[in-house]
Amino acid sequence: MNPISEETLQAYVDGELGADEVAQIDTALVHDELLAHRVQQARAMRAQLKSLFDPVLDEPVPEQISALLRPAPPAVSVSTIPLATQTAHRGFGAGRRRSSRRWLLPGAAVAASLAVLALAFWWHAGNSLVRMQDGRQFAAGALSRTLDQGLASAPDSSAAISIGLTFRGTDGHICRTFVSHDSPAMVGLACHEAAGWSLPALSTSSASEGGEMRQAASDLPPAVQAAIAARIRGDAFDAQQERAARDGGWR
Amino acid sequence: MDPSQSVREAMLPLLPRLRRLARALAGQLADADDLVQTVLERALTRADQWRPDAPLDKWMFAIARNAWRDELRARSRSQNLFAPEEAGITTADGSSAPVQKLELAAALAALPPDHREVVALVLIEGMSYAETSELLDVPVGTVTSRLARARATLQAHLGNDS
Repeated sequence: MNPISEETLQAYVDGELGADEVAQIDTALVHDELLAHRVQQARAMRAQLKSLFDPVLDEPVPEQISALLRPAPPAVSVSTIPLATQTAHRGFGAGRRRSSRRWLLPGAAVAASLAVLALAFWWHAGNSLVRMQDGRQFAAGALSRTLDQGLASAPDSSAAISIGLTFRGTDGHICRTFVSHDSPAMVGLACHEAAGWSLPALSTSSASEGGEMRQAASDLPPAVQAAIAARIRGDAFDAQQERAARDGGWR
Repeated sequence: MDPSQSVREAMLPLLPRLRRLARALAGQLADADDLVQTVLERALTRADQWRPDAPLDKWMFAIARNAWRDELRARSRSQNLFAPEEAGITTADGSSAPVQKLELAAALAALPPDHREVVALVLIEGMSYAETSELLDVPVGTVTSRLARARATLQAHLGNDS
């Protein structure tokens, strides 16, 4: 008697067999208790999975999801949006960004202009964390100091800026991600150059309910993630490499 | 540039199934709904790429699967450097699930992504092997072997494979 393979049996359970093969297995099932048990088990598994996930079908669709499919609202005037409520980025966090994101609907252009606005605000706020040189952005003040001295492996919880990951870029420069917790919260990527820490990516970020920045990887704004992806070569530094890089002046 | 209202309307009835798929892929409720939002955003910006003769649901499922793969990549890239996500599995009803259901949900979440995908598409969404093969862009034989291995793992986790 031909043993029936696991894959044939699964195809039987999943309704993927032709009538002839189905008839063949139906016949075999009558006499083969073990086979019948395997079929029953595979069916039970399928039923259990369905019963686990099918209730989702009956749940009401959350407003922030169905809202995305409504007709696009008229263009939003940027100046009317309070900076404090911005959630320019969302990734796949653990449900911390339940605030309205409908303003994102008009698209990336608005998001981009908001980011620019926030950056201008941030800059203007007297923090002097960013300076311009030859038309490029560089870290200044406390940001520059934190990038020089801060270690993700030895975080200073009282600091307004914290460091995320550190890695060596494809061009040989060392780059570091950072988060500024002061409102408006900013997330960025800084790369060490002769002239200082250049800022190839800088973005507004969402703050969690506690006003505290979340640093889950997935919460990095897409612009920052893209900037990392474009530069990273190999793995990010571990604590030892990070410390060694600092002691070596980030060369 | 703005996707036509008809595409939006066509997507609306697909949301429950899209949420179910996202829940099966992502495990956690919040992650799953974030995934759905990402899928809608991508689908709306790429609505012009959708060919009306192709099933809209499969197109969106493929976007969901790719978006989840992107997310897993982004997570693994910085997993050593950022606070870990809270562990936790949410079943569909989000509450007092029987122990066995929780075990099954945990076993599903522990599967490698390529196994979890076929379980989600074939066993939960109910797609055929051929449709799944097309959506994942792998041969049918790969779908069936992944599915068989995923089933064996799930069964073993449930501990009732005697």
